Amino acid sequence: MKRFVFLVVLVVLAVNLPLSASPKAVAQTPTLTIWTDDQRLPVLTELSKAFTEEYGVEVVVEPQGTENTMNTMTQGAATGEGPDIFTIPHDNMGRLVDTGVVAPLDLGDKAEFFLPNSLEAFTYNGELYGVPFAVENDALFRNVDLVPEAPKTWAEAAEIGRQLVDEGKVEYAFAFPDLGYNYYPVYTAFGGYVFGRDEEGNYTADDLGMDNEGMVAGAEWANSLIRDGYASENLDWEAAHVLFESGQAPFIITGPWAVDRFKTNEVPYAISAFPAATEDGEPGGPFIGVQGFMVNAGSENLLLAQTYLTEFIATDESMQYIFDNDPRPSAWVAVFEATEDPDMRGFSEAGVTGQAMPAIPAMGFVWDAWESAGLLITQGELTPSEALSQAAEQIRTQITESE
Amino acid sequence: MNKKNAFPVTPSTIIRLVLVSVFDVAVLSLIRQLLDDGNYPLSGILGVVIIIITLCFSLEKLRYYRWLGVSLAATTLFVLYPILYTIYLSTTNAGYGHILTKQEAVAFLESQQYVPESGQQYKWTAYRSLESTNDYVLWLQAEDDATFLTGIGTATQPASLGDDGIGAADDKGIPTSIQGYQRLEKRDTVAMIDQLGQLEFGSAPDIIRITSLTVAATTQQRYHYDSDGDTLTDAETGLVYHPDEGVFTTDDGQELPPGFRVGVGLDNFERFFASSALRGPLVRIISWNFAYAILSVLCSFALGLFIAVLFETLPGRQIIRALLIIPYPIPALVSILIWRNLLNPDFGALVSLQNSIFGTAPNWLTDPKWTRIAIIIINMWLSYPYFYIVSSGALQAIPTDMMDAAAVDGANAWQRFSKITLPLLLKIVSPLLVASFAFNFNNFNLIYIFNQGNPPIAGSPIPAGHTDILISFVYRLAFNSAISDYGLGASISIVLFLFIAAITWGQFRYTRVLEDQTV
Repeated sequence: MKRFVFLVVLVVLAVNLPLSASPKAVAQTPTLTIWTDDQRLPVLTELSKAFTEEYGVEVVVEPQGTENTMNTMTQGAATGEGPDIFTIPHDNMGRLVDTGVVAPLDLGDKAEFFLPNSLEAFTYNGELYGVPFAVENDALFRNVDLVPEAPKTWAEAAEIGRQLVDEGKVEYAFAFPDLGYNYYPVYTAFGGYVFGRDEEGNYTADDLGMDNEGMVAGAEWANSLIRDGYASENLDWEAAHVLFESGQAPFIITGPWAVDRFKTNEVPYAISAFPAATEDGEPGGPFIGVQGFMVNAGSENLLLAQTYLTEFIATDESMQYIFDNDPRPSAWVAVFEATEDPDMRGFSEAGVTGQAMPAIPAMGFVWDAWESAGLLITQGELTPSEALSQAAEQIRTQITESE
Repeated sequence: MNKKNAFPVTPSTIIRLVLVSVFDVAVLSLIRQLLDDGNYPLSGILGVVIIIITLCFSLEKLRYYRWLGVSLAATTLFVLYPILYTIYLSTTNAGYGHILTKQEAVAFLESQQYVPESGQQYKWTAYRSLESTNDYVLWLQAEDDATFLTGIGTATQPASLGDDGIGAADDKGIPTSIQGYQRLEKRDTVAMIDQLGQLEFGSAPDIIRITSLTVAATTQQRYHYDSDGDTLTDAETGLVYHPDEGVFTTDDGQELPPGFRVGVGLDNFERFFASSALRGPLVRIISWNFAYAILSVLCSFALGLFIAVLFETLPGRQIIRALLIIPYPIPALVSILIWRNLLNPDFGALVSLQNSIFGTAPNWLTDPKWTRIAIIIINMWLSYPYFYIVSSGALQAIPTDMMDAAAVDGANAWQRFSKITLPLLLKIVSPLLVASFAFNFNNFNLIYIFNQGNPPIAGSPIPAGHTDILISFVYRLAFNSAISDYGLGASISIVLFLFIAAITWGQFRYTRVLEDQTV
């Protein structure tokens, strides 16, 4: 027993020693921690050196994937985990705001230097929660060897594709990665949408457009190609890209992430804006995903983090630097307008008619149901109208049951 | 009473005690951190662990239980705790919008400030005291260009350039110095802005706080929590909120995020059993789940056994064996993806092969029947080497004299196999078959990586696929959307656990009967 007592005393002493030795003093010069993805890691690391030099504040940039950042922020941020600042695609915002882990931002008079739709994407319940830096959206890719001029209407695109198949030049008229996200420009051209907006311009789960006439008409366009054997009955993201890069399909709708692989495979592509449903119709628009910085509401350096964004990131030099080293269409008007790269211009033009991807939580129920509907249409299991009303029902059921 | 040999202090005792104390220190500091974070369940379990280990390794009386203590502690931590935690989670509404504890939610809301209607916004410049590093004054410029001076705990006074003690103005009209204080330049201001942000300038009720690098404002705390009435009052709008199902709600139903975690009793189970998930595809999913697990085990076992018997006596079998085991060390993830591409209708090699031989090929990824067949085939490919190894080992254990005796009695090869080899073999491998069944019953990887449970079922009230098994369906239900519902997920996994436990128990009973019969 004596030994046990001795041991307990020893342990208690040892545990309390480091306690008294390390007071929780606030460091004289704070350190900002930023989480970002692998591609932006070197860019922000290099860029932040200028901030350190100017203000004497050390900036640590660490690599974290979106999923990891989201997990840490939604589950651990309240207990003091997580970075001061992180970069994230805007459609994660709803979850972060509803969990109460991100701080609102005030750009003051700098707001006018940003593309309005990029700021709109980061606005939730009327408050701005992120500083956007890059805008990503799909565009129409065509094989210029096969199709020298971009089509004006979807009917024309289908006609060109069918002719090329009939002539034996390609296997399929169009490559479809899915009938959801990457097909949205077709749906919207025909008047479809996923979520409508309320009077204040916020997306609302009460207005689900999944089964409206425009969506059905949009799906019919792909369905007729598939039923006539001019497009694959197999809906597969990877397979669709292989079809395009091997010259077996003249068109594909996809985003900036596919550019590298198309270049590697030396497929002669051009990027353009989307066609309209009819000659005098409005062209369809893609979903716009905006990359931006957000601030951890639980950060000990909250004001510093906000200052870093408003004083240092929201400047011509920083935005130009980010664009030069990670070329995606910039959210900063001056940089955006000075861009000469034809690929970037193509994406920008296609994005003009785009809509910010809804960041409301109900969007989480859309993807699975929408994907299933796309598969059921391509497989010929259901007609577009049956498949989309089923998806709409599924989404409504889940929204109701989650409340 | 003093027995001299009661505490034999040998070097090994000292080393052991030192090691135990190092362990205790490490775990105790971990517990302290966890307590700081408010994670009481885990700190409690770690407390149990530390007591078990310390007692076993320091009390001479318990020396025989030392290693038992270690495994007991490990079981507590890695098996018991996750089970208890899952049960706990299943009775809460933890998940999207209900991540924080109530204290955390209240703390978050109480930290919110607002600028009341009577409030003012200013541009500010800070000056640090020459004597004390903790004393500052602010030079404030209101929107109407009126200027003020304010200090910590002193009332805000109108001040203008040229007043006593206020230094000359710079080109922006801001004094370069104030008597007894030195102006902070931008560089220093940025670095210490959060320190400045914690200070309260002016006097009550017009407390001025720095809200950004340029703006200071008379702010007030927006939400006040009253623990007696358990209500939260919004000072700006006057609304009163009561906690309701884990979120502060007004009487007319207006909710104030963030919500927090509360106990909901058996609601999650009720929701699961009442949900459209059950009305719809669940029966179909369960029957496929059984078929999938049973067929996977039987087919892989049959193939493995067949090969084992076939090559038992063949010359050069060492090389053949080595070749046959190849699928085993390849990660399943890689194999499944390769299979998926081989079966791709547009460019899959196997599909082209079938097309050139038969002129047609089934659609392996979209036709429900063929997708299921493909999954069974892939699972055979993945797991036959295991059964091959097990069976060849077990075959060695079957005494040859029984076979010889049977041969003398005139039994042919099939009779010998089915009447002697197979029953004896089953006796050895049946526990492995049961284990393999339980594993395959929950084999999420194969289903999800191969086709995400697709092709989808037409007419299902919520998204579900023809190849979905329970666990992949639960994943769709609870995690595949942005709205993670951990409470529901935990309750479903408890239902699943009970389900599989019942099946496994039944199977073990059955195999025991089998064993009794064969012996």
